[in-house]
Amino acid sequence: MTGTDFPVRLVLGPMTAPPDAADARGVSRRAFLKSAVAIGGSAALAACLDRESVDVPRGPEAPGAAGYPARQHAWNDVLARDDAGNAVQPRHHVLLLLDYGPDGEPTDADRTEMEEAFRSLERAYERSHEGLLLTASYAPAYFERFGDSLPSSVDVPDPEALAPFEDPDLDTPDALVHLASDHAKVVLGAEEALRGETDERNGVSVRALPDALSVSERRTGFVGAGLPADNQDVIGVPDSEPVPEDSPLYMGFKSGFEGNQASEDRVTIGEGPFAPGTTVHLSKIRLNLTQWYEQDDRYQREAKMFCPHHAKNDTVEGVGENLGTDTGMDDCEAPEESARNDGVVGHSQKMAAVREDDGPLILRRDFDSTDDGEAGLHFLSLQSSVSAFVETREAMNGSDISEDSAVGQRTNNGILQYMNVKRRGNYLMPPRSLRALPPAAPGEN
Amino acid sequence: MRRRRFLSGVGAASVGGLAGCLGFELQSGDSVRGEPDMVEDRPDAAYMPTHVEGMAVAGTQSSGAYDCALTYTYPHRFWQVTGTHTSMTEVTEGDTVHLMPVVWHRETGIVPPDVNPGFEVSLEGGSVVSRSPWSMLSQRMGFHFGDNVVLPGENTYDVTVSVGEPSAMRTGSLADAGPAEFEFEFTFPRSELETVSYRDIPADEEGTRGAVDPMNMEMVPTTQLVEPDALPGTVRGTAKSGDATLAVTTLDDATPFGGDESETYLAVSARTPYNRYPLPMMSLSGTLVRGGETVFDDSLTTALDADLGTHYGAPVPGVESGDELTLSVDAPPQVARHEGYETAFLSMPAATLTL
Repeated sequence: MTGTDFPVRLVLGPMTAPPDAADARGVSRRAFLKSAVAIGGSAALAACLDRESVDVPRGPEAPGAAGYPARQHAWNDVLARDDAGNAVQPRHHVLLLLDYGPDGEPTDADRTEMEEAFRSLERAYERSHEGLLLTASYAPAYFERFGDSLPSSVDVPDPEALAPFEDPDLDTPDALVHLASDHAKVVLGAEEALRGETDERNGVSVRALPDALSVSERRTGFVGAGLPADNQDVIGVPDSEPVPEDSPLYMGFKSGFEGNQASEDRVTIGEGPFAPGTTVHLSKIRLNLTQWYEQDDRYQREAKMFCPHHAKNDTVEGVGENLGTDTGMDDCEAPEESARNDGVVGHSQKMAAVREDDGPLILRRDFDSTDDGEAGLHFLSLQSSVSAFVETREAMNGSDISEDSAVGQRTNNGILQYMNVKRRGNYLMPPRSLRALPPAAPGEN
Repeated sequence: MRRRRFLSGVGAASVGGLAGCLGFELQSGDSVRGEPDMVEDRPDAAYMPTHVEGMAVAGTQSSGAYDCALTYTYPHRFWQVTGTHTSMTEVTEGDTVHLMPVVWHRETGIVPPDVNPGFEVSLEGGSVVSRSPWSMLSQRMGFHFGDNVVLPGENTYDVTVSVGEPSAMRTGSLADAGPAEFEFEFTFPRSELETVSYRDIPADEEGTRGAVDPMNMEMVPTTQLVEPDALPGTVRGTAKSGDATLAVTTLDDATPFGGDESETYLAVSARTPYNRYPLPMMSLSGTLVRGGETVFDDSLTTALDADLGTHYGAPVPGVESGDELTLSVDAPPQVARHEGYETAFLSMPAATLTL
């Protein structure tokens, strides 16, 4: 396949200068690595290989079904854990939006070639945060090429606007490949392999995706202590460099607490030919943090991110490591009560109201981004049906709450004032056995 | 005596209501320049600010049911409100302009508080600033949305203002207003900004209870509400809380407001003293007691109506002369305040009036 160049990105980061020059300009190693992922391409990878000296473990020589979970999304057992025991997302991410060129159903040859490409990466890199985590998902638009429709056990509608105040562009690629690793060189190397830019990675022969698949868009990002602070020279973050050095995300607080995440079991499709797959919602969100950091104070940030109780009691220390494994929402009032009596409702507070059997409905695997030179968030979430995401997002909108309280459509309504959803897309993530160009009705033929 | 940083070194040319005030020399080295020091003893009420500014209109556009004026003035301090907690935003180095996209419903002239405009400023196709500005209350502009922004120099910018679907109860054609988007070209040479008027308030007036008069805005509707006795329906009287005026009226038919014919619509028009600007984004509750018995006890929700303007209301089983109505402010107006309003409408005790 043909690689896509992004020369415009080269002006955005320190990659315009060779690594030594970058050092001379005081660019930290982490900033350099992140910038390389954002830039992409073989030059970025080459520079990365020079800088990231860590050895990445290889995978098994024959990565068949044995030893690999049936769920592509089964990452939790191979993610790092923080001191409190929360699963920690890999630090570097690349999302490839792919189009399958030919009309009609995919050929078996293309399926085989795609599966071979994935397996070659699994040979090259161990399946873990230290190695590579890889998923492939498919949009509703992809399945339109089949005579059959998706089974009723799968709830993945076309994307749509999900708030009265948003007007996102709707993504309609055929497929979405997510590459994640703690090491920049791994996500870049895997991408180069899939694009056919290299035939060897980590000492292992690798294969490209079939020519029929082309990259229509590339999105990148990072999550983890230090990375947002090192990458805050973007539109949307004020020049005062306000992002705390130890924050894993731009907004200055950690997320992904165990108690606020759905389990992998919960987000798994339970029946039908796509069990045990899941569904993906991916939005591209632009962050505007000037007000957040330069106009709001700590009290307001804590109230809006968590709840008024936390703000009044200084519950959250720093980025929130002291919270342990959940955001302590049991101490907060119901969202409606806070809105009425405190004039503000927290983001976590609204989210905590969306639970089933005392668990959240979605599993967040989101990360920050400098794509387009803007502070952004690629909000990637997994749920057993897209309607579970829609329900969660409706709670986040707080429309009912704002109708009946001092809380505005965006003002004091969680963190809605600071974000703007630019794009939305929905995908079906099939089980591993169907990850390469699946039919709409597996097992029918 | 307060040090007048704003005027220091500028000379007499800046004093008085002069246009072209050179006092806003934005490139001076003083990072907290541009505004006089605050009055030290501010009443917990609307008060005369240290100075007032005019505003300029970059253009007006129409889209859907709305008109929009892109207006601007000098960057200035304001206070955001979260519950009863306020935080002051000061003018910081680099703040170029206070940008206000004023969106109003064309047919009624109402500036709706339930749609939060967003604006995006671009230069040669690249985004420079993207923002959901604060809802605000100022003594000269009334209710509007705005924020201080940093623009990279004197250029011609493209500005897109957008509003989404409404989120409050609306009647008549207000309810039909959908999303809208407005495109502006905003040429910003600093000299243009410096023609915006500036008027210092005499020292013996500033800090005293009162408010400066509303601005005479030719191209933008004032958000002034009608006098209480000009409200539609049976006007039942007014109460005061936290320096706000709460004017109560009842309409015989609650149907347009989500009730039915047998119900009465109880409406509370909350407004600033002196200038009668609406006070939106408040949690207001009402308790109606008749002969010792409670006949209604619930929240009064924000509603927009051509005749009532932005108000709070609820259908009630009926209102009789002699009923006691207690209005409770559960959360004060969560609207950011310009100078002169930041200490008012925050501590708002319950008010009772006999209807």
